[in-house]
Amino acid sequence: MDLTIKRKNMSCLYVKAVGRLDLDSAVEYGSKIKDSILDSEEPITEVELDFEYITFMSSFGLKVILELYKELKASGGTIKLKNVPEQVMNAFKMVGFDKFLVFE
Amino acid sequence: MFKTVKLKILAITILMLAFLMLAFAFHIIISRMKTKQLMVQNYKFSITASSFVQGLENRIITSKDNLKSLALIGSLFYKTDRSPELTDKAVVRIFEDYPQSLGGGIWFKPYIIDKSKKYTCFYAFRDKNNKITIDRNFASKEYDYPNQEWYKQIISQVTPQRNIVWSKPYYENQGSYTKMVTLGTGIYVDNELIGIATVDWELDSVIDEVSKMKPLEMTFSMYKSGGEIKNSFALFGNLKDDYVIASNDPYLDNETVIGKSLKEIPWYTTADKLYATTYINYHNRTYIPFVNKIDDEMLIIICLPKSEMFKDVNFVYFLMILSMLGLTLLIPTLLYFSLNRYIINPIDKLTDIAHKIGKGEDIQIKIEKPEEFAQLASTFDKMTKDIKSITQERAKINSELSIAKSIQASSLPNVFPPFPEKSEFDIFATMETAKEVGGDFYDFYFVDEDKFMFLIADVSGKGIPAALFMMTVKTLINNVSQLGYPPKRLIETINKKISQTNKQGFFVTMLAGLINTKTGELNLINCGHNQPLIKRNNGDFEYLNLAPNIVLGAFEDAQFEIYDTKLNPGDIIFTYTDGITEAFNDKNEMFGEQNLVDSLNKNKTSDIKQIIENTTTDIKNYMNSTPQSDDITMLAFKYNGDKKVKNFETEALQANYKSFYTWLHEAFEQWNLDSELRNKLDMCAEEIYANISFYAYPPKTGAVCVSLEKTDDSVTMKFKDSGVAYNPLEKPDPNIDLPPEQRPIGGLGIYMVKNMADNVEYHRIENENVLTIMFKS
Repeated sequence: MDLTIKRKNMSCLYVKAVGRLDLDSAVEYGSKIKDSILDSEEPITEVELDFEYITFMSSFGLKVILELYKELKASGGTIKLKNVPEQVMNAFKMVGFDKFLVFE
Repeated sequence: MFKTVKLKILAITILMLAFLMLAFAFHIIISRMKTKQLMVQNYKFSITASSFVQGLENRIITSKDNLKSLALIGSLFYKTDRSPELTDKAVVRIFEDYPQSLGGGIWFKPYIIDKSKKYTCFYAFRDKNNKITIDRNFASKEYDYPNQEWYKQIISQVTPQRNIVWSKPYYENQGSYTKMVTLGTGIYVDNELIGIATVDWELDSVIDEVSKMKPLEMTFSMYKSGGEIKNSFALFGNLKDDYVIASNDPYLDNETVIGKSLKEIPWYTTADKLYATTYINYHNRTYIPFVNKIDDEMLIIICLPKSEMFKDVNFVYFLMILSMLGLTLLIPTLLYFSLNRYIINPIDKLTDIAHKIGKGEDIQIKIEKPEEFAQLASTFDKMTKDIKSITQERAKINSELSIAKSIQASSLPNVFPPFPEKSEFDIFATMETAKEVGGDFYDFYFVDEDKFMFLIADVSGKGIPAALFMMTVKTLINNVSQLGYPPKRLIETINKKISQTNKQGFFVTMLAGLINTKTGELNLINCGHNQPLIKRNNGDFEYLNLAPNIVLGAFEDAQFEIYDTKLNPGDIIFTYTDGITEAFNDKNEMFGEQNLVDSLNKNKTSDIKQIIENTTTDIKNYMNSTPQSDDITMLAFKYNGDKKVKNFETEALQANYKSFYTWLHEAFEQWNLDSELRNKLDMCAEEIYANISFYAYPPKTGAVCVSLEKTDDSVTMKFKDSGVAYNPLEKPDPNIDLPPEQRPIGGLGIYMVKNMADNVEYHRIENENVLTIMFKS
């Protein structure tokens, strides 16, 4: 999957992915974001995940999202999802993630 | 020379014929003589007739003549001038021409010529120089002839008939002292006896002459080559007065016996008895007596030793027996060797070669003689080559037949499944031909996008002609079927075309089905063929009773009745040819329809390949070792409904996930699924695939089979793996209402599957985990 990670401002990381967030790609997606947070000199308090081009997300994607959420939350940060397609949204809803994730 | 057996046999035959003729000739010659007895009789006759004429009789006749002449001279002397000189000369002259005689003369009675003179005689004798001397003064007081025994004997017996009188033998002691006999006759003048005329014979010379007599050469020329017979002896006697004149019997004192009675001779019986006797035994020898009487007065018997007589005859007998024996041995020997050499040996040789050729050796046959066998050998050789080339040709034909068989086999669709992308139906068919190429066939094809035609047929006849016709018919049906005609028109067109093509009077029985694979609507047509069987709703197979139409190719304008029905998913049509129901067992019983129905229903399977294979096994078991008499052909069709099935199999590794979802998405595209369904399927597929690849096999690996089946209103996805038994449905659901901090990272996949699918089932079947997930569409 194509993955774009950039700094939106000092403490905000913007992640844009294109393709499937599944068995093959979810682990890579998660670890690259985590690496970027850790690599950052300035502490990252907000991660903005752009799902506009995510065509498919499975439980592996959900798993990665939950991990990210937990790690950021522990360091006082937040996660925000943007442009989530309806099918992917259904998956979040199915497993109750819609209750704590922030969608824009 | 004699190159052929025929000539050789001819030569041998002629040779043997010659031998046989020779033997036959011998036989004839011998049998002409029949017995020795006959030969002796014959010989006796000859000796009587000829021998004595030449021998003693001649002498006697001469003596008689001379005696007559002497008597005449004597009477002339008496009657005429009585010239002693003239008379001397006449007498001398007679004896000069009469060498057999010792002497003789004219003796007048005393005082008859001259009253003063007692003796008047003219006596001539042969002196030591063989000269005839006359002695007129022979008679004297010392030789007083009228008192001599011979004179008295003769003069007392003479008659005017001029008979010949024989004196008894006596010794002349006047001169030579020889044994003599005197023959005399009377001299008569006017019937008055005036004296006698005599001739003297030396007895030794008579005996010599007699015993020298032998069979005439003419008589025994066959046997005797002129050699003298030794050891023969003779008896000369006076029969009338019964005394022996001469004899040279080697066992007797012949001197003593002279003058004595014939009965003094030991072997003598009577003349007549001896004449009738073939053999006499005398001093350990066998003799053949030859008896001759002269004037019933004199008797001559010659005894010849039998052994000498028949020496040559015996020799000839011996030769003949030898030659017969030789022939008896020679002919079979000759036959044996020539048969062996000219017939048996070449036959043996040929037999030997035939054996070797039979064993596959490559031998050139070479026999040069005799010609027949040379010819036979070359014919044989040619035959061998012919057989070889025929065998090769046969092999070629056989290979061509097997090529024909493979052409025929390949002309029938024989790759199953034939349409792997079509899920609406399954079809399976087999054909086992009785001969190399058969008259049965089956065929199936789409005639348009949805309509599928299947047929099974049996062309009348078997072998290559039937196969050729079958190919024609098969092609023809295929071509006509593509025209898109409605069923009735289709079958009638096929029939018309076959009738037109078929000049040889072939016909075809056929059962065909035309099915709409979308709807299951089926048109069945039976043209004189075995009725099909149908299995509906997972029930049993049962016969369908279609309208029995006429066979194809019989009448150009025949009408056909179509049977219309509708198949539901799962229904099976089974068709076959009569090779099945008419398969014979070793008791000459037919397999029959009931056995077929039983066989089809025995195994509760709906896999048509399995059904056909089971039935094939049942038929083969029934036939046991009986050779297959007809083609055995079966075709089964199963309608699945308008569903779509896709199968995927791979090694259950995460690395293979990409190819799995690529396959999955191809199905989505093909089936044109809506995105929501796609998403659900995609998610569930990934969860289960991941589960299997993570947990089923590790640390080993194994296969995962995925099938995707779409019907009008659902899509079913089925996962199979043979890893550790695991029912994911037993895993408890996660609590989705917990605050995020308390929620575990994983464990959502199965929950999501259960959540999204309309039905999920887990089965452990034959050591396989089978998970079936169904989505309504």
